[in-house]
Amino acid sequence: MERTVRGRGVAASWYGIARTATIDRAGAWAELDDGGTAKVVTGVTEIGEGILTLLAQVAAEELGIRPEQVTLGDNDTARSPEAAHAGATRQTYMVGNSIALACREAREKLFAEIAEYWDVEATLLHAFDGILHAEGTNKSMTMAEAVAICKGRGVVPVGSGSFTAHGTGLDPVDGSGAPWQVYVFGTQVAEVEVDTVTGEVQVLGIWAAHDVGRAINPRGIEGQIEGAIVQGLGQALMEDYQTVEGHTTTHGFAKYILPTALDVPEITSFLVEDRDPLSPLGAKGIGEPALVPTAPAIMNAIYDAIGVRITSLPATPEKILQGLKEKRRRNEGIAAE
Amino acid sequence: MLSCRSYQMPKSLAEALALWRGAPEGSRLIAGATDILPWAREGRAGDVEIDTLIDLSRVAELSGYQQKDGRIRLGANVVWQDFLTDPVLARSLPCMPFCSVWFADDQIRQQATLAGNLVNASPAADGTPPVIALNGDIEIARLDGDTVVTRTMPVADFISGPGRTDLKPGEIVVAVTVDALPGYGGSYQKVGQRRSLVISSVCCAAVVKTDPSGKVFEDVRLALGGVGPKPMRLTETEAMLRGKAISADLIERASAGPVDLVASRTRVDYRRTVVRGFVRAAVEDALAHAAQSAQSEEKETANA
Amino acid sequence: MPELELNFEVNGRTVAKRINPGLRLLDVLRDDLNMTGTKEGCGAGECGTCSVFVDGKLVKSCLMPAAKAEGTRIETVEGLARPGDLTVIQRAFYKTGASQCGYCIPGMVMAATSALRDNPDAGHEEIKERMGGNICRCTGYTKIIEAVELARDVIAGRMSPAALEADAVGESYIGNSVRRIDAPAKVAGRLKYAGDMIMPDMLHMAVLRSPHPHAEIVSMDTSAARAMPGVECVITSEDVPGVDGFGVFVHDQPIMARGKVRYVGEAVAAVAATDERSARRALAGIKVTYRELPGLFDAADALAPGAPVLHDYAPDNIVKHIPLRKGNIEAGFAAADLILEENFSTQQVEHAYLEPEAGIAYVDHDDVVTVISPSQNITHHRHMLAAIIDRPIQKVRFIMSPVGGGFGGKEDMIYQGMLALAAMQTHKPVRIVFTREESIVSTAKRHPSRSKVRMGLTRAGRITAMEFDMLSDGGAYGMSSEGVMRKAAILSCGPYEIDNLKVDTTVVYTNNTPSGAFRSFGGMQVQFATESMVDMAAEKLGLDPFEIRRRNMMKPGSLTHTQQKLGTASLGMVLDAAEKGSRWEAGAPTVRGATRGDTHGAGTREPCKLGERFAAGPETKERVA
Ligand SMILES: Cc1cc2nc3c(=O)[nH]c(=O)nc-3n(C[C@H](O)[C@H](O)[C@H](O)COP(=O)(O)OP(=O)(O)OC[C@H]3O[C@@H](n4cnc5c(N)ncnc54)[C@H](O)[C@@H]3O)c2cc1C
Ligand code: FES
Ligand code: FES
Repeated sequence: MERTVRGRGVAASWYGIARTATIDRAGAWAELDDGGTAKVVTGVTEIGEGILTLLAQVAAEELGIRPEQVTLGDNDTARSPEAAHAGATRQTYMVGNSIALACREAREKLFAEIAEYWDVEATLLHAFDGILHAEGTNKSMTMAEAVAICKGRGVVPVGSGSFTAHGTGLDPVDGSGAPWQVYVFGTQVAEVEVDTVTGEVQVLGIWAAHDVGRAINPRGIEGQIEGAIVQGLGQALMEDYQTVEGHTTTHGFAKYILPTALDVPEITSFLVEDRDPLSPLGAKGIGEPALVPTAPAIMNAIYDAIGVRITSLPATPEKILQGLKEKRRRNEGIAAE
Repeated sequence: MLSCRSYQMPKSLAEALALWRGAPEGSRLIAGATDILPWAREGRAGDVEIDTLIDLSRVAELSGYQQKDGRIRLGANVVWQDFLTDPVLARSLPCMPFCSVWFADDQIRQQATLAGNLVNASPAADGTPPVIALNGDIEIARLDGDTVVTRTMPVADFISGPGRTDLKPGEIVVAVTVDALPGYGGSYQKVGQRRSLVISSVCCAAVVKTDPSGKVFEDVRLALGGVGPKPMRLTETEAMLRGKAISADLIERASAGPVDLVASRTRVDYRRTVVRGFVRAAVEDALAHAAQSAQSEEKETANA
Repeated sequence: MPELELNFEVNGRTVAKRINPGLRLLDVLRDDLNMTGTKEGCGAGECGTCSVFVDGKLVKSCLMPAAKAEGTRIETVEGLARPGDLTVIQRAFYKTGASQCGYCIPGMVMAATSALRDNPDAGHEEIKERMGGNICRCTGYTKIIEAVELARDVIAGRMSPAALEADAVGESYIGNSVRRIDAPAKVAGRLKYAGDMIMPDMLHMAVLRSPHPHAEIVSMDTSAARAMPGVECVITSEDVPGVDGFGVFVHDQPIMARGKVRYVGEAVAAVAATDERSARRALAGIKVTYRELPGLFDAADALAPGAPVLHDYAPDNIVKHIPLRKGNIEAGFAAADLILEENFSTQQVEHAYLEPEAGIAYVDHDDVVTVISPSQNITHHRHMLAAIIDRPIQKVRFIMSPVGGGFGGKEDMIYQGMLALAAMQTHKPVRIVFTREESIVSTAKRHPSRSKVRMGLTRAGRITAMEFDMLSDGGAYGMSSEGVMRKAAILSCGPYEIDNLKVDTTVVYTNNTPSGAFRSFGGMQVQFATESMVDMAAEKLGLDPFEIRRRNMMKPGSLTHTQQKLGTASLGMVLDAAEKGSRWEAGAPTVRGATRGDTHGAGTREPCKLGERFAAGPETKERVA
């Protein structure tokens, strides 16, 4: 056998988004502000997933302004509406939709005033990138002007939104129920190289296809997929929190081994857009789901390379060599028979 | 968390030795600090209060290296990155660049010293196998009255077990002297759990020289790390190869020998399997590099 | 306190300071100079969040005694560009979306700067090697490396600086890769995480943690600690005014151990003092007498008759059991041509967000107890804390500081209660910053699992029945265990329509480090098993792995394992995309890696061979050009 062998494997996955068992909900406030800018307040901030940018995009789109003109309030139980927790791949879906609703309400207030001012139907109004115009007419103004006019008429264009998911909890006996509003699906292919001298596995390529409903920020989604894959790879190959009689033996990052830049594969992402019919934005979520298929895709690839089935994570070099040894023994056994 | 009452940065060896001799119980020498600082943390030594830390990094006599009589004397303050970036060291110590590139990361290599690595004497240290393959001697200084006296001993004897060395109270390591082997090919095989910032599970250093035809092993030096309480020089394997015609079969047979030397307390099976493959890979890899370095030496001669 | 005089240059300015001689350069930068762009992710040289230039060489400032900085020239992330400006590298990070939580990013920017200063032509592999000492838990490194290559090309004039600007927007901001609005603050090191925040008069908290996995607290004497210099308060569970208990589903965890410790690392008492070192020293002055109890260290042992009981409310040690039943499992297996059975296990996994837990609490002018922390669930935390400290809900306020990575690990309220209590007792702001080791030992992990899986299939590859039994170690407290088991059960048998199912997921208490919420919440443990088994079946049946998945996949209208009818289902779409995108060569998974024709192609990287940049000088140059 050559010292190194390649193999490929695939794994599919699914994941539930927007919890319904304990009713998920999120609220938001929006205000079109001077200069054609906006203030949006909801109870979230970044945990790194890019939610603030996404919310700014959604608000900008709904209000007809630019994302950088949106100021997002901090997550503060005393100053902002409840948006519940930052996790469970719920931010885009729950908070994104509640902000969309809040912004729509603010926009409608503004549009009603401008429609009257221009003496056109409000349904003809359309705003994008800071410019408001009435379709089929030559009427047009900046959003800055529109806000000034609106306020001049005594109206502050504000709105609020609340969004929830529908479903039921699980039956205690047979578990039947509709616990999540939406399910997303994914598939990843992994290509690995196994070193038969050391037992090391290098993951050289991952092709990741994930349904995101609607890709609001494609680069941000890729970032989530890449990060999730590398966490999945860490769990697949090296990470292992260990205790002996309750005492940890992996106290720090010298013992708890995480992937570095040298361990990561080339990652090719395919964003599949199967719009969610149940929500205004049509987007789903990606934060957690992208991690799910990585480890099994890698294990299936290892099997393809060397015929060793790893059933216990992580697939350390030691387990790989052990597996090869057992396989050799089995083959010899068969040959001897 | 490390605390100290006093932090000293002597500029000369005599000053350092005097401070060290006079330092209260529990004081420590420090070079790159890359072993000491992580040691003083929870899960290891915890919060440590040290009286005096004597930092050797500005001691003039410990810096730089000298070449003499086919040997290189590496001052105790030579850091790991030097083996990669200094062309003389890279050429004369053919296994060191390969070892160094596996050592910690680019940043720690700027701080961490080879001497600190040897004194720390971890069974998994990357510094010891290549140094013993290069017949390394360690030079140790102490004060006798007011005069600085030194003694020298093989690194292989200096390290007596995990974390144990022959260093005596009041002594400071001043240099490590190793064979200069230009024209040899070097190799360093290492496996851990990833490829950067990683402690060796097993490592193997090799330097090999062939005759001008490239068909006979003229010299072979091999050492293993990570497989027992201290690093091991593979003298028997070396003897099997030295002077023999190079063949895959010979290398294969020679690499079976060291397997039984594995004396680790854990993962013995794994280490045995790897050792066999590593000895073979190290010899083959070093041979390939020997061919390259023979070529480049030839080119240099031709150009001259 | 002994002092050392230190003179050095930081970002072009001369600094003279008298410092404690034991400090590290990192401490001086962050605490004495308030330059918090340099972060402490691990304190042990393992993560690179603390990287700074010393005389032009990049080093990890947590590994450098401050005294070594004497006479040197230091450059930190704050000094790379003029205030308010960004370097090309920083702008490239902004452009590619290289920052997520941002906590590793100052260090990454420093490493990238070092790499390109040393070799402006550095190739892909060299850049990766040079950044190999910096850990990022969020991005998967891909966009970071992309940023460095982009910056390299812009600096070298191979690409126009326009490549750093925002993408043009067409007709909608939805679908546009708008650059992250938080990126400039992150790449410049300006963003303040909780551990970077300071308030006037602020105290520092240190926590005494249990050395035992299971023990009764016989007595505790804090008087010596209270008398130590700098100590302003020592708190224990006796100081809790309200109903003590928190947790995501069951409130089974006191904010500090109450009568009993259940895992190593559990908080037992806390000290607030005028400086961090005094607080840590005072911990040694707290005398606790423990009576050790028999411990449970394995999930299976927890279920054994006569096992020690951890929580009185759960005499069987079961935190939660979720059953799913669908169809007729016996009939399903009877209809199968092939039955596979295998055991799978997954390990406990640490979140390893680069930002260790940190927070500040204070009582404001209106008597509102306020906690600023990177909490992933301030809504729920406010509810729980109000009950614990017995205050009306409007007198409790949580502010979520920027989270330096969470992944579910910051959903548990494991330290905010202690901060609030200390702030209430002292009426001063109190800050805590966990060490990495403290974070690892005391916070929840991904649930380890052991699953027994049976799958029955027809010769044609249709799954007729599946039995899935998973046992998980929840550790000492309930945390998110219940929800994790539920999600594991719901997703267990994969994205396949299976008529006959029997699924049980069970999580038990043990004296191990607790398990909790972690990105994918049970979903990865179960699907690792199922997806492995699908491939095993494909091999036996001679089916291509994509094909067997298509034959079983959920479609619109399918009933899930919980008998929910799906309105939409996109598995077919993603299978097609992955198969085509990876140029998959069809065939059964029969160990054909060595002979298949689709490996080594586009979309793969070269295997990592360290140090090629040193081995072959001229060759590397050519490759770059
Ligand atoms: C993240 C990280 C990664 C690492 N990776 C590796 C690795 O890949 N391989 C590896 O082998 N090691 C590794 N190490 C360990 C460490 O970096 C090395 O052992 C290093 O060579 C120690 O050198 P130093 O100068 O930093 O030693 P210090 O920490 O300063 O000192 C180490 C010991 O040597 C003593 N000492 C130092 N100099 C002298 C002297 N001149 N005379 C007498 N005693 C002296 C000190 O008192 C101390 O006991 C790593 C450490 C870290 C933090
Ligand atoms: S490397 Fe210094 S804090 Fe992690
Ligand atoms: S962005 Fe790197 S750790 Fe979060």
